[in-house]
Amino acid sequence: MLRITAGKLANAMRGTVGVTSSRIAAVRCLHGTEESAEEFDKRYEKYFAREGIDGWEIRKGMNDLLGMDLVPSPKIIESGLRACRRVNDIALAIRWLEGCKDKCGDQKATLYPYLLEKITPTLKELGVPTIEELGYDKPELALKSVYDI
Amino acid sequence: MNSLRCAGLRVSGAAAAAACRPSAGRMTMLPAVMRRLTHHDGTRCMSGEREYVGYGVNGNPIYIDCADFPFPAIRYREVTPEICALREKELSDWKKLSLQEKKALYRHSFCQTYSEFQHFTPEWKLVVGIGLWSIALSILLTLAVNLIYDELPETFDEERRQAQLRRIIGLQMQPITGLSSKWDYSQNKWK
Repeated sequence: MLRITAGKLANAMRGTVGVTSSRIAAVRCLHGTEESAEEFDKRYEKYFAREGIDGWEIRKGMNDLLGMDLVPSPKIIESGLRACRRVNDIALAIRWLEGCKDKCGDQKATLYPYLLEKITPTLKELGVPTIEELGYDKPELALKSVYDI
Repeated sequence: MNSLRCAGLRVSGAAAAAACRPSAGRMTMLPAVMRRLTHHDGTRCMSGEREYVGYGVNGNPIYIDCADFPFPAIRYREVTPEICALREKELSDWKKLSLQEKKALYRHSFCQTYSEFQHFTPEWKLVVGIGLWSIALSILLTLAVNLIYDELPETFDEERRQAQLRRIIGLQMQPITGLSSKWDYSQNKWK
């Protein structure tokens, strides 16, 4: 959903910047068929939902996703949270939430409440606290200077 | 071969550290899969008893707080009996964990939260300060030099500089894109 809106926005921008979509398509074709937003979401949902996934693979998937130019869709976030539950790592789940919030960038005011609204049932079900409940939306601890250790 | 390599890579920092330690020189302390020595071994030893949970920067078991790479290879803190008890509790329903326990588990895995490591620091003051100091010093240096050498060398005279230019053109220096390329030798003037 978010990727679709982002894609539409990018298309609108492309018109103004002056790069035609046919040129983009021509470039993309060199790398095989283009993956639709739904397929992308499905792929990552499946990745996190796999039986016997371990912490390594979860971290790999999440690191990759948070490195991409997109906001993970609520379904992927939920799937990731459930994967954290299966490997019994609540710290990973909280960090994942923080990462997804950070990906909203300067659209935090609009995108983050939407994400939170969508994933709240899963958070309640698993018992994962939101970032606001933990108080991690503001800095909690100051880091000790390395010269004082 | 591939599975063997994975098994070798996933030997925990603790096991590798134990193997590196001279006091634990007995054969029983060695991991089941023999690893080749690599340049990561020093880092592996330094990671101590920390759990090795992912693939780090270039495979190094190092901890880093960074938004581009939010899930580092090792947990931030070493394993203690208290955290072991908490991890046991984590196996059951997470709703039974108190907020403090959840925070403790988070701080066991990670050093700083996103809002902490992205917080604006007053480092810019140092940068601006050093910049202004270097500008001030260079102004002072220029003034001092101008005071010591009150007259410019004679090579700075107009006719000498003209002669220098003539010679450069005469020697056809930088004929492709440089100065001489802009001189028309057939008409003896600038192009």
